[in-house]
Amino acid sequence: MTMQGALKSSEQHRTRGAEFLTFTLAEETYGIDILRVQEIRGYDAVTRIANTPDFIKGVVNLRGVIVPIVDLRLKFKVGQATYHEFTVVIIINVADKVVGMVVDGVSDVVALSEEQIKPAPEFGSALDTRYLTGLGTVNDDMLILIDIEKLIASDEMQLMDRIAEA
Amino acid sequence: MSNGKPGSDIDIKRFNQVFFEECAEHLVEMERILISLSDREPDQEQMNAIFRAAHSIKGGAGIFGFDDMTVVTHVMESLLDRLRKHEIGFTASMVDVLLEAGDVIAMQLAGHREGSVVRQEAIDAVRDKLQRLVDNGPAAPPVAVVEPPDSSPCSGALIRSLGDDTATHRFELSFTPDDNIFRRGIRVESIIAELSELAQPGGFASRAELVEVPTLAEFDPENCLTRWHFTLTTPASADQVMEVFMFVADEEQLNLRELPSERLPAAAPANLPGATAAAEPSTAPGAAPPVPEPRLEGRRAYDRDETSPGAFGRRQGEAESSIRVNVTKVDQLINQVGELLITQAMLAQVASELDPVRYETLHKGLLQLARNSRDLQGSVMSIRLVPISIVFSRFPRMVRELAGRLGKSVELKTVGETTELDKGLIEKVADPLSHLVRNALDHGLETSEVRLANGKEPTGTIQLKASQVAGRIVIEVSDDGAGLNRDKILAKASEAGIPCSESMSDEEVWQLIFAAGFSTADQVTDLSGRGVGMDVVLKNVQAMGGRVQIASQAGKGACVTISLPLTLAILNGLSVAVGAEKFIIPLSAIIESLQPKPDQLKSVNGKQVVAVRGEYLPILRLHELFNIETEVTDPRQGILVLVDLGGEKTALLVDALLDEQQVVVKSIETNYRRVAGSAGATILGDGRVALILDVAELFEMAKKAQPEPGPAKEAA
Repeated sequence: MTMQGALKSSEQHRTRGAEFLTFTLAEETYGIDILRVQEIRGYDAVTRIANTPDFIKGVVNLRGVIVPIVDLRLKFKVGQATYHEFTVVIIINVADKVVGMVVDGVSDVVALSEEQIKPAPEFGSALDTRYLTGLGTVNDDMLILIDIEKLIASDEMQLMDRIAEA
Repeated sequence: MSNGKPGSDIDIKRFNQVFFEECAEHLVEMERILISLSDREPDQEQMNAIFRAAHSIKGGAGIFGFDDMTVVTHVMESLLDRLRKHEIGFTASMVDVLLEAGDVIAMQLAGHREGSVVRQEAIDAVRDKLQRLVDNGPAAPPVAVVEPPDSSPCSGALIRSLGDDTATHRFELSFTPDDNIFRRGIRVESIIAELSELAQPGGFASRAELVEVPTLAEFDPENCLTRWHFTLTTPASADQVMEVFMFVADEEQLNLRELPSERLPAAAPANLPGATAAAEPSTAPGAAPPVPEPRLEGRRAYDRDETSPGAFGRRQGEAESSIRVNVTKVDQLINQVGELLITQAMLAQVASELDPVRYETLHKGLLQLARNSRDLQGSVMSIRLVPISIVFSRFPRMVRELAGRLGKSVELKTVGETTELDKGLIEKVADPLSHLVRNALDHGLETSEVRLANGKEPTGTIQLKASQVAGRIVIEVSDDGAGLNRDKILAKASEAGIPCSESMSDEEVWQLIFAAGFSTADQVTDLSGRGVGMDVVLKNVQAMGGRVQIASQAGKGACVTISLPLTLAILNGLSVAVGAEKFIIPLSAIIESLQPKPDQLKSVNGKQVVAVRGEYLPILRLHELFNIETEVTDPRQGILVLVDLGGEKTALLVDALLDEQQVVVKSIETNYRRVAGSAGATILGDGRVALILDVAELFEMAKKAQPEPGPAKEAA
């Protein structure tokens, strides 16, 4: 990034823009708040948990902490749910929980200013619009911005105990 | 005494925490003693202990600027002091007022700590009550007036001998505070002022020196780099001098040395810090002419009278033998040790493939490592464990008060108070237990008249019993009252619209009382009967991964059993393989493992059972319960692990037994949700996660799954 670019991005922060980690699910590119991302790791040694939906792949040991792994490709029925050495898991930290999400690939970190974020359309992506915060445009490419906290905590992800909500 | 000026909010908060904790401890201690009196007059030691607690709270509150808290403690102190000096006599009603005062202080403490509501009228009421006792307390029995100077070694006699003992110790005290002292909101001026008050006129000198001079760049005006040296000639004892630094400095920051006295060089032996000054006045010959004790402003005269060992300030001995550590630090330590164990298991696994002859030293070293890390884990785990007596100790008072209000005669028995349980659980188990004790008192126990009429002892008994059974902590609350009333429960349940029928078994009927909105109390009292009791108990216990059971016999009494998992404890487990998955079965639940012979397998209603020594046990197929693909579906090819579920037995079908090992129980719920049939998870030597099976829950799952396999999945 050039000096000017760096300056520009810090300005964007001030104008309530934010940085997003972008990842792909099939043909679509999604973005989540970078501050929610803890780390990115490979997919391996997942222990299956019985009687759970297929998109919950199981749990892994993340340095002594047990973390559930969700395959967003299975959840949203996009792309090919194959697992190999290049399969990527984004470990995010939302609602006091650490959760891993399997995606097709992680692309970039982009900074978006508020002007670059447009309201989300009513339909048109694999995700329900309830979980979208808007659409971003970067170099003519569309970026679907997800409210990851809302998505992970939602009932349909079945990641949280319902008792906790009651 | 109030001299602490808060620095910034954050600093003072961190600093206040120490006071809050100490204050809470003092309150608990005071209450414990008051309850243990059960209306008898306290002996001197108990009196001093109560006084000490009140005094410490007042002192701390003053220093930390919680002046409102000093109001009640001040009057309380006056009362206790008069009692102590036998100026007024002791009455049983004082215990109640003192207990009430303790509650008010606790309320004020909570107000400062959590911002909860503080009822001023309660404070005023209790203060007035105390004041009335101070002013109009009954006259002391005549014996007591005569007695103290001769017989009680730590009050009258010493007070006088201290007055007679002119003189004057000369102390040299150096005080090296930590860097943070200013940030904690402590002002050294006021400490110096207090010290100089202790000293005789003209008998005080202080000198300050810089410990190190930092460069200008590193200079932080908020860091304290000064060390102080004080010399004081004082009639006070070493303890009293040290007391000035209470809440301010740790003992290692102080160095108190007694200098040979100018006037009585021979009589004053060197007094090391920590050594009790109490022996001093009594050994010193009282020959010197009496010098009037200087009156000190801001400090009560009796503050200085107290010379008995450990009577004031820091509890001697105990204070040095324990340290306060933040729980998160301990948890971090436990996690790290867990990681160490996993690494050790991994190394052991790798090494097991190496030639034992060629790598003999490696194998030896690893064995040693395994032993050491296990020991380390044991020690670390024990840090978090606290005896359940902490919870049990709150019940004597509750029972006393409730019994008084209900007009029932009750004896509370506690068994197994030393049973240790995780600190986190201790806090959570207290509420359900008080519900149960309250229920037993209110609903269970009869009045003395009814008991006599039924041919029972007039005094009812409530027993709290804790024990460790099969890897779980079991707490029983039992009473010898009337027991649960089946008809009444059924009637109430149908009234409240809870589905029930006459044909239900007793156990099923008892379960009805756990339904929300259920209450059988004839009248709704403020004790119980609002129907929020048992369902809350059940919810709370389940949230801890525990279970509640009820046993009752009409006319004989009822017993509620809470069984809790040892969440943090090291679990001895057997790892088993089912298909590609591994599971841990708690060793404590296992009776034996066997490979069944064909003639041992029978069929009952189409379900396979195994005959073991005349018993027919149902077979739970783990691969079915967990939907795992495996080649072993016939019990004859696999292994049956017989498990005990507290009376009931069942056989788990697994592919193979792998290893017996100690595992660290990890919570799945931290980041995920409860997994049916599991009591947590652990991390195996290869770094993979394995579920720890909750055998009892598996059995329940299997029972539910029996009619039709569908609902079990829903329940999960």
